[in-house]
Amino acid sequence: MSAPTATLRPSRGATEGSRPRPRITAGGAMVTVSALVLAVVWLIPLVWAVLTSLKPEGETTAVPIRWLPLEPTLEAYRLVLARGDLQRWLVNSTVISTVVTVLTLMVCVLAAYAFSKTRFPGRRALFALFLAGILVPPQVLIVPLFDEMTFLGLVDTYWGVALPQVVAPVMVFILKRFFDAIPRDYEEAARLDGAGHPRILWSVVLPMSGPILAAVAIFTFVQSWNNFLWPFIAATDPALMTVPVGLGSVQGAYGIQYAQNMAAAVLGALPLLVVFLLFQRQVVRGVTDAGLK
Amino acid sequence: MRTEETPLPAPAPAIGRRGFLAGALTAAGIGLAGCGGGIATVGESRTVLRQWNLFTGGDGVRMVEMHDAYQREHPQIDFRPTTYLWGNPFYTKFAMGAAGGRAFDVATLHLSRLRGMGPGTLIDPIPVELLAEYGVTPDTVLPNVWDKCTVDGELYAIPLDTHLVVTYYNREICARAGVLDPQGRLIETDGVEEFLDLLAAVKDVTGGYGVVMDTTGAWRQFWSLYRQLGGEMTFDGDVGIDDDKALQALDFLRRVSEEGLAPSASDAPGTPANFVNGICGLMFAGNWEIATAQAAGMDFGMRPFPGLYGDELGQGDSHALVLPHRRTRDDAAVRAAVEYAAWMLKHSITWAGGGHVPAYLPVTESAEYARLEPQADYRDAAVNVQFDPEAWFSGSAAQLQNEASSLFAGVHNGSTTPERALDAFKRATRKLIETPAPV
Amino acid sequence: MTPSTDIAPPEAARAVSPAPPGGRARTRHVSSWAGLWFVLPFTVLFAVFLVWPMLAGLWTSFTDRSLGRAGSSFVGLANWSEMLGDPAVWQSLWVTLLFTLISTPPLVLIALGMALLTHRVSRLGWFLRFSFFAPFLLPVAVVTLIWTWLYQPGFGMVNGALQAVGLPEVNWLTDKDTVLVAIAITTVWWTVGFNFLLYLAALQGIPAYVYEAAALDGVNPWQRFRHITLPLLHRTTALIVTLQLVASLKLFDQAYLMTAGAGGPDYAARPIIGYIFDSGFTGLRIGYASAISYLLFAVIVVVSLVQFRLFSGKGKSA
Repeated sequence: MSAPTATLRPSRGATEGSRPRPRITAGGAMVTVSALVLAVVWLIPLVWAVLTSLKPEGETTAVPIRWLPLEPTLEAYRLVLARGDLQRWLVNSTVISTVVTVLTLMVCVLAAYAFSKTRFPGRRALFALFLAGILVPPQVLIVPLFDEMTFLGLVDTYWGVALPQVVAPVMVFILKRFFDAIPRDYEEAARLDGAGHPRILWSVVLPMSGPILAAVAIFTFVQSWNNFLWPFIAATDPALMTVPVGLGSVQGAYGIQYAQNMAAAVLGALPLLVVFLLFQRQVVRGVTDAGLK
Repeated sequence: MRTEETPLPAPAPAIGRRGFLAGALTAAGIGLAGCGGGIATVGESRTVLRQWNLFTGGDGVRMVEMHDAYQREHPQIDFRPTTYLWGNPFYTKFAMGAAGGRAFDVATLHLSRLRGMGPGTLIDPIPVELLAEYGVTPDTVLPNVWDKCTVDGELYAIPLDTHLVVTYYNREICARAGVLDPQGRLIETDGVEEFLDLLAAVKDVTGGYGVVMDTTGAWRQFWSLYRQLGGEMTFDGDVGIDDDKALQALDFLRRVSEEGLAPSASDAPGTPANFVNGICGLMFAGNWEIATAQAAGMDFGMRPFPGLYGDELGQGDSHALVLPHRRTRDDAAVRAAVEYAAWMLKHSITWAGGGHVPAYLPVTESAEYARLEPQADYRDAAVNVQFDPEAWFSGSAAQLQNEASSLFAGVHNGSTTPERALDAFKRATRKLIETPAPV
Repeated sequence: MTPSTDIAPPEAARAVSPAPPGGRARTRHVSSWAGLWFVLPFTVLFAVFLVWPMLAGLWTSFTDRSLGRAGSSFVGLANWSEMLGDPAVWQSLWVTLLFTLISTPPLVLIALGMALLTHRVSRLGWFLRFSFFAPFLLPVAVVTLIWTWLYQPGFGMVNGALQAVGLPEVNWLTDKDTVLVAIAITTVWWTVGFNFLLYLAALQGIPAYVYEAAALDGVNPWQRFRHITLPLLHRTTALIVTLQLVASLKLFDQAYLMTAGAGGPDYAARPIIGYIFDSGFTGLRIGYASAISYLLFAVIVVVSLVQFRLFSGKGKSA
């Protein structure tokens, strides 16, 4: 592959170096301290969930509340994993989010390319239709879409869960705007070399679009991973549920077990949090750039 | 959270991003490849049997016990039970899964909900010959229950139990109040006044109340008493209800609260708690609360709901097993489901441990059941169980019960009068009648 | 609507400046059918999973279609007139609106506070970004599992904290006066990180010379914030508020899960999508639920158009 030179070139880069250096002042220290306090407060629910998950079930409802487990144990995790549901949901979430992300990238890139770099009959009308589609939130379609799915026989199938999530006209729009800004000279040169549209897309446009593709991919993946409403409707079979749907609907036969609930919550939260810690900057950009719809 | 466990979150290099995307693409390839087969079909010779139920707590534990035994006896079945939250969450999943037609093979259902859940559309008929093959025939089930399983001449449900509101009594308190017979059973009373006298005697002992009942589930009390009075309820164009009888039934709820014989507010979990902690000597509650009383280790007995206005009739329902509609015919799965249902009926002595009266007569007529204490003491009540009136909006956790319970709770706590509550109930019911029926 | 993406392709600046595409007739782009093949996959999906349900839903709203019955018949405007007279529709719409009113201010103000604090801190920036933004990445069921546990009466942490400072316990999720507030608090904790990131990006986009000039004039930090930072964040604030409005109209997930699908006491926490769900899937009435869906759609379109007007009128820069 022609090495894409497109690194994340932050437009703020110019200002970064010359921002006023924080001097150690009383005011600065106060800002730091309040920031840290707020951050810690914001983490309390997560920390409390982790601590609860490490307690034996009997300790979870102790009054008054005690933070640290008296006898820390991984029993809750063992019980949750022994049920096997959560592993299956994690697999389902991974498969479905990946399929949604890849398909979204493929169909939206193709469509955006067509709108940006080609002229075909009906182009304007179609683009206007897709723009109008941005106005239709998926939430208002749940009932007719479910009805349609029963007709097509897609309820309780992977495709039934995944395909409606691929229809994201806003992504076509974002990608088109980006492609529009790629100078014509590049495609002209390629065309002179005898390249057709597929070649131009593959060898000219895509290599220059790394950042936007990453942004769309990350945003789509995160959104699909955490999507609740549609998977909740399209998958009633526990074997097909994703993490949020499974955790939100399947009950333990033994009633509410707080340590196990929290263990399941921690395990369900882990994948994206790990991805976030590893790729913090990319996730932040992906979410802010593509998320502004 | 545990930052020390994770690698440095320092600025990730561009390779990280590309690696991430490459990984995602690889995973997608694997995922797409795996999609073709679908996970639901396991290519083994074991038949998959997916059961859905709505039992948590004591019932849930007992069902797990039965399922463990079932799985041990059926190694060729890959048995997969799933529990959803009782009430609407369960019934919503049921409707959607059945509409999709491939999510599950057999499910529990309140018999009172059968007619509102689309028998013939969402629920498939039971092959009766197959069921008979496994030993369940009309003569092995109480006729009043079997009738409820049949819609337009077709059998749509296999009843597992009958459950109903009954009387619990604390032996120690009742003995001190002098309301036990020589065998240690609560004496039988005749009419309202006698029963109120009994409550007063119990109240003198507890210093609190005589009886406790779930005031947020007031429909159970109301329907029991209304049926004792011979009341009927119909929904043909308008609410057909006997006002005098309804008011008489509601007036009892008002009176026990007003005279301090019962708490004016006590919710579902609070009611057994109040009984167990001894602030009252009696409790009107579903027979499934037996587990709570037993867990508390108290000496208690049970008998039918008292006959305040006639026979000892109590409101109740039946947990049944049904076959959801399926998109494509699968005889092996239907056979496995019917066999499973019959197995559950035959082994419902375990289920009886939770207070429910098994619907399968060979079980309730067995010596083993007769030895179950105090279950055997209210066995006869099941014969007279009073199902909810028939309508698509009626039945357990359905709208009619919800409307009635929330309105009649006001009679218990004195915030409204029986007359006003009845008017409001009729208004709410009329609205339900006017709503176009979805089945 | 228009995303203010600040990712620019290399040398984009050079390309954008000369001749806008429409200005000079570019003969190189002859109309051809090639482009159609490229838009085809998306168009098919768009037609099947967006246009079809849109049109089918409209038709269904004029029928008595039900999950519990095969077939359906045309009932004219019956669903629509029933809907307009159904108090539950208006109550649930009110719940959605109320949620918007109580959740939007903290979602904006707290995000701004977080961004201002984080912006000034150089060392532990990654830690702050993690703790403020991490909740946004949690699946909703994880959030509601944790918060239902926190709100528990008796042994929950929120009530434990209240009692520790001498306040009475609150039945957060079972009292009709507090259930929506409880859900709003959870939502703020969960989603404020997104707004925080937008503010942070905006703050970092403010050129340093602006502040340097101010420093020369000797303004104090408050004046600097009040007269430089805040006005420069105006566009971001408008963006966040409008994003928030539309997001709040779509409230469902956390409200459904935290009330165990029951909508809270007296349906005090059942939003309009909750009522659509209840009517269609719990009540089996697909036709009626389709009609309510269209009502919600109309509301969302109106809100979107209003905000679009406001936006395109204000910042032409887009």
